[in-house]
Amino acid sequence: MPLSAQHVSYTYTSRRGAPSFALRDVGLAIERGSLTGLLGPNGCGKTTLLRLLAGIVQPHAGTVTLDGRALGSLSRRAVARRIAVVPQETHPAFDYTAIEMVLMGRHPHLGSFALEGPQDVDIAHDAMASTGTDHLADRAYMTLSGGEKQRVIIASALAQQPDVLLLDEPTASLDLGYQMEIASLLQRLNRERSVTMVMATHDLNLAASICDTVVLMREGRIQAHGATGDVLDGDAVKRLYGVEADVRFHRDAGHLVVVPVGRAR
Amino acid sequence: MSSPTDVTAPVAPATHQASVRRHAARGARATKARVLATIGGFGVLAILTCLLAPLVGSTHISLLRAFDRTIPFADNVDAQIFFIARLPRVLAGALVGAGLASAGVVFQALLRNPLADPFTLGVSGGASVGAMLAISFGLSLSVGPLSPVPLATLSGAAGAAFLVYRLATTAGRAMSTSVLLLAGVTLNAFFSAVIMLLQYVSSFTEVYRAMRWLMGDLDIGGFTPVIAALPLMAIAFVLIAFLPSALNQLSVGSDAAASRGVDVARVQRIAFVSASLATSGSVSLAGPIGFVGIVVPHLVRLIVGVDHRVVLPASALFGAAFLVGCDLAARTLFSPVEIPLGIVTAMIGGPFFLWLLVRRG
Amino acid sequence: MAARASRITVVIAALCVASLHGSSSQGTAPPARAPQRIVSLVPALTEMLFAIGAGPQVVGVSSYDAFPPQVKTLPRVGALLDPDTERILALRPDLVITYGSQSNAEAQFARAGIRTYSYRHGGIATILESLRELAALTGRRADGDRIAGDLQARFDAVRARVRGRPRPRTVLVFEHDSGTLRSMFVSGGIGFLHDMLEIAGGNDVFADVKRESVQPSVETLISRAPDVIVEIRANPPPNVDAERRAWLTLTTVPAVKNGRVHFLAGEYLVVPGPRVAQGVEAFARALHPDAFR
Repeated sequence: MPLSAQHVSYTYTSRRGAPSFALRDVGLAIERGSLTGLLGPNGCGKTTLLRLLAGIVQPHAGTVTLDGRALGSLSRRAVARRIAVVPQETHPAFDYTAIEMVLMGRHPHLGSFALEGPQDVDIAHDAMASTGTDHLADRAYMTLSGGEKQRVIIASALAQQPDVLLLDEPTASLDLGYQMEIASLLQRLNRERSVTMVMATHDLNLAASICDTVVLMREGRIQAHGATGDVLDGDAVKRLYGVEADVRFHRDAGHLVVVPVGRAR
Repeated sequence: MSSPTDVTAPVAPATHQASVRRHAARGARATKARVLATIGGFGVLAILTCLLAPLVGSTHISLLRAFDRTIPFADNVDAQIFFIARLPRVLAGALVGAGLASAGVVFQALLRNPLADPFTLGVSGGASVGAMLAISFGLSLSVGPLSPVPLATLSGAAGAAFLVYRLATTAGRAMSTSVLLLAGVTLNAFFSAVIMLLQYVSSFTEVYRAMRWLMGDLDIGGFTPVIAALPLMAIAFVLIAFLPSALNQLSVGSDAAASRGVDVARVQRIAFVSASLATSGSVSLAGPIGFVGIVVPHLVRLIVGVDHRVVLPASALFGAAFLVGCDLAARTLFSPVEIPLGIVTAMIGGPFFLWLLVRRG
Repeated sequence: MAARASRITVVIAALCVASLHGSSSQGTAPPARAPQRIVSLVPALTEMLFAIGAGPQVVGVSSYDAFPPQVKTLPRVGALLDPDTERILALRPDLVITYGSQSNAEAQFARAGIRTYSYRHGGIATILESLRELAALTGRRADGDRIAGDLQARFDAVRARVRGRPRPRTVLVFEHDSGTLRSMFVSGGIGFLHDMLEIAGGNDVFADVKRESVQPSVETLISRAPDVIVEIRANPPPNVDAERRAWLTLTTVPAVKNGRVHFLAGEYLVVPGPRVAQGVEAFARALHPDAFR
């Protein structure tokens, strides 16, 4: 099991000093090579879980392990060489070019004072090519369209040459066209490069289309975890979102689709 | 595959073209050759400025006489003007210029805001309160080479930095940039009120002296103040040298930086402490000189791009040259009357920012 | 007969009083008689009032007044930046002496029907003029003339003593950071300090800068090479040796080389009032010690 969490809890302290649990005794094991979707309503703890899995924050109880070793015991660079994160939004404070953004992904492989060498540049260009953004290398990142930006960020995560890619709402601010683009890109990367992926998302159809495994979360706990076909059904949707939905296999699409039909009574 | 219209509307063609041109002109990224060439270029500029500046001044001196060893130093007017009046001033200018410019770059990255400057977080407010207390109450405590006003200034600056640090830091966690900014802005407002109060209760001459100090002054008349500030500045520069790569990462986002192996909390602390040290040392030497910490980084970015591994050393070097140049103008344009240094930097900085604004729009 | 005589006396008296309010155009409608309750915000003019014998009429002084000793018991009413108009009005003055820039306060007093006299900053001539004007205002012309005459006589005496002697190039320093030469303020070519220096037989090295105060750079100090440096302060510095040491780095300056750096302390040196003659004499003693043996 490359990445797993055992009995992980995480609390936020509210303004009045009362602790509130973002995650409560969560246990999760990510299969190598899987494309797992983390599903659940706002505030269910998906993002927190993702940050814990990435080692960005430490759990208040329990451990997160990578290949059996606790994340906390590894150096941050060592973790970063294995796990990469695609955040929901990226707003650089300065006007970096796309290639500069992608090259930042090489950081865990370089020393403190090292500059990127020709090998790093090749890796970066490869990553950009695999996300179809190589022609944008010298463009200013901030002038790119939403879909282009997201693909550049995915490229920068790929430049880290990770075993595991964690994505937080990768298609949240994209239109339908870009959503499909990113979805097929992620699926291709998962299959062709064997990158294990964990994706937190609202988009049930995105999860249904590309995830082989889903984890359903609600109020800081895991409700269900298993193969998409087994777990994702009308009852699950009703339990998570309080919405009546029709979940069925769509022949032309080739995967499950989720159609909301009304609020649950 | 054509890109459909998107939530983020594509940039207007003119700006896009300009952006492509700008980036193509800058070249791609920080290769070793580019970094060395840039640092070398700015280094030469800084050295040349520092070598030429002492040769010029409000009084005409003969360099031959100044360097004539046969004339005893105690009698050599030209030598005294060169070595006591001008040279320390140029060195102080270089040190302060480098300090303020690099502190500006570091704070801009730390706060993820290109409009931040070394004084955003309240350091200069604290320094000014210290200086005013020393001037109004005629404090005469000296510590080694630090005379009363620089000592009080340093204490005030350090106090302010410490306050902001405590307010914005929780053990082991990353600093919140919004808390940092809020703490700094609040402290600045508070210090302004204290300064006004001090002015109100001070005599006329004390107020005038304090006002003049606030406008900046490099006329140190000897190497002692430079020696006093040197340890602090040296520590600051050494710490800053470790930052450039991490600042790149941090300026994209702290979670992004963490996911790439940066120890965000540690880098933030080092950045804050080093930039505060550089600012405190600079202010204790020359008063709070504005615009250097914001104009120089922006100018440098226009020339070399935004990679901090180039921007930081280039800003330090260009900052040194810039301030020495401004001081040269300040002491020669209307001689024998000297224009306060802060006025010269403001006269250059203000229009520069207007131009930046117009250019962008 | 007695009734008509007393009426004539009253008319003559009225005419005499009316003639006293000739000179100064300051303030509002002239009062019927000399002011009996004077509040002064300007220490120099307070000193003048006491010098001409109008001390008993002074009922309030500024926060910075220190001379003569009688002012120590008088109520304080603020100063240039913070005149306490309420307090001043509570003292029921009929004359308030203000700074020229305090137009708001002056307007308030005018509305209350209180006369004001405005201080003008200037050289020694202005000091003597102000003295005479105050004397006229307070009905003490004769005293005013006498005091002004005394001052003038003392100036002339000093001039006589130093006549014919070489006039040293002098810098008059009245402010700088303690222990260093930074933020130095010296007297420029105009103002009472400059005038005092000229009478005392010195040539102000910065006479060409037509300002009251100049902030010279170290370079300018070295290049102008004064023969004498006179540091003046209201109060003596805590450590004169530290101040002296600060000058020692400028060894090419003749004043430093020849040990002619003088430290004078005293309120009378920095107040442009009737004690100005004392200041002139102090300067003359520092510049021409041999003329006073």
